[in-house]
Amino acid sequence: MEYRSQKIAYWYFAIALLLFTLQVVLGLWLVYNYTFTVPQWIVDNFSFATARAMHTNLLVLWMLLGFMGGTYYIVPEETKSEIYSSKLAWFQLIVLVATGVVALVGFIFGWTQGRPLLEIPTSLDLIVVVGALAFLFNVGMTMYVAKQWTVIQGTLLGGLLFLALLYLFGIPFYKNEVIDWYYWWWVIHLWVEGAWELVTAAIFAFVLMKLTGVDRQVVEKWLYVEIGLFLFTGIVGTGHHYYWIGAPKYWLWFGGIFSALEPLPILLMLIDTMNHVKKRETKIVNPLTWTIAIGCAVMHMIGAGIWGFMHTLPQINYYTHGSQVTVSHGHLAFFGAYALLNIMVFYYAMPKIKGIEIYDASRGKVAFWTMSSAMMLMGLSFGIAGVVQSYIERVLGMGYMAAQSYMRLWMEVTFVIGFFFLAGVVIMVWDLLTLRPAKKAAA
Amino acid sequence: MSKKVAFWIFLVGTVSSAILFLGLTWDTHRQIEALSHVDKLSNNVVEGKRTFEKYNCNDCHTILGFGAYYAPDLTKVVQRIGADGIRFRIKDPEKALASSWRKMPNLKVSDAETDNLIAFFTWVGNIENGDWPPQDSKKRLSRSEERMVAGVGVSPGAAVFQSRGCMNCHALHGTGGTFGPALDAIGRKLSLEQIEHYIKNPKAVNPKAMMPPQTALSEKEIEEVAGFLANLK
Repeated sequence: MEYRSQKIAYWYFAIALLLFTLQVVLGLWLVYNYTFTVPQWIVDNFSFATARAMHTNLLVLWMLLGFMGGTYYIVPEETKSEIYSSKLAWFQLIVLVATGVVALVGFIFGWTQGRPLLEIPTSLDLIVVVGALAFLFNVGMTMYVAKQWTVIQGTLLGGLLFLALLYLFGIPFYKNEVIDWYYWWWVIHLWVEGAWELVTAAIFAFVLMKLTGVDRQVVEKWLYVEIGLFLFTGIVGTGHHYYWIGAPKYWLWFGGIFSALEPLPILLMLIDTMNHVKKRETKIVNPLTWTIAIGCAVMHMIGAGIWGFMHTLPQINYYTHGSQVTVSHGHLAFFGAYALLNIMVFYYAMPKIKGIEIYDASRGKVAFWTMSSAMMLMGLSFGIAGVVQSYIERVLGMGYMAAQSYMRLWMEVTFVIGFFFLAGVVIMVWDLLTLRPAKKAAA
Repeated sequence: MSKKVAFWIFLVGTVSSAILFLGLTWDTHRQIEALSHVDKLSNNVVEGKRTFEKYNCNDCHTILGFGAYYAPDLTKVVQRIGADGIRFRIKDPEKALASSWRKMPNLKVSDAETDNLIAFFTWVGNIENGDWPPQDSKKRLSRSEERMVAGVGVSPGAAVFQSRGCMNCHALHGTGGTFGPALDAIGRKLSLEQIEHYIKNPKAVNPKAMMPPQTALSEKEIEEVAGFLANLK
């Protein structure tokens, strides 16, 4: 850590970690609902819908807090200056976390906008907008005052602006269900396959550059190509959500072709990472951070690239759309692309903020491998359930619950794996919050 | 490749995709009018959508394939179980799903709200959405429907069974309701006459029967459907 104001990032990370744990606990409850019969009185008071709203909103909240913390950590080093206003950064953290907590409690009492992933009621949306504006203002002013521009911070700021702008499309009430879903995907798809990818690419490039000591010009050159490909394929690629909503037929072509290209930038990122690692000019100080970085690139490719590609073609998607196949892809992709990215940043920045040069990685290693292998297995078991469901329900035309009965075994398997994943998360959170220097001095 | 070339790749890639996307968005808006039958988007439909959101239905059910995957897709729910089937499930989920191992909350939805919901689902069911979901497609008959249709040729009772609400409670080959027992092999247990008798007055056969007497069916329809069911062995 070179600048005092970077310290704020620690609190963003710590809160994100707690929310992540809570998200996973709720995830276990959700898969319990898939596996066992929940008594009517519990269903009446705490339905699957409520728990699911909490699970997904916690995901969004902790990841955004992670991104914001990451940004507050990176921007001072990129601009070679302190953050414009530490107070504003604090204010914004408190506002967003308070809004999040109110929203989560509100869900239990049925206070919801009732649209998946965008359940936060409109009045709270406006507070989120205030928080986001404070954040963008703070980051923008830091860069403006420092008059120090790099491609990394430009991409970061661009991605964050894009992210905030897209959020607005999720706020209004749309009378027409078709148009509602059309713009719902402007938030969800253009977030995860647009704005978030920009933020990720920028953060990843920064950490990679710091870790490997590869020349900034080289890193930034590839960053341009990656984000160019992400946006080229990702923007029109939104069309793969428009196949069956009542939009024109040409979306089958545009969505199909552009999203078939979507794995390319991810593949480039993976190759690029491997190349940088090979051509590194610095010694490996904290091997775990490296492992997570490479794990992130690999799991990003598997979850988002391969899994996404597998059911993006209209001919396949006709049968798999809205089944557990989507769930499988969603879990693997979010974990690979965004959870591991955040975890990488946590392991990069948190020791530095605490002034630990070489941290003890023994617990972290266990946590990383437990989480990653559990998530991979979970993706597979969800995936099998999804294929079973698609075949029985969509091909054979049997009823919904008939298909659910055949899938039940695989949801039970997922339930068991879920405990391993939770164990991994708990070990990681415990490790990150109580980081210690490695026992032996650096070799 | 220089950094400048990389920058141009970024710029051209992003701008071209964005322009194409915005153009298609403009055209999509134009076409959605007809594809979603905007002329039939009445106040009741809009109120139904509000109700749908008020009770957070979409975080268990999918609609047009989106939402949570915990409960059946609602795109074609009216075609599948009819307005009465929907009312029954919303009003008395405890009863409607008594024999199901997955439950639905009783959200105390008012009758007026339920009517709006049905208007909303009716409208959604008519959106021209590329014939999705496949199991409801009239072009690609599912296997169980093929069996059913084959049955109609042999006995018109299959048509009665399918069209007169029997499937709100009973299932055949995994399709239909779970409130009553599945009737896949009912012919093994009951004869044609017994089935006929049961349909007319269930309580006379089994005092604990929950099934109401089927007074809406004509004598001929009862005969036909009983004939169809008696053959399921």
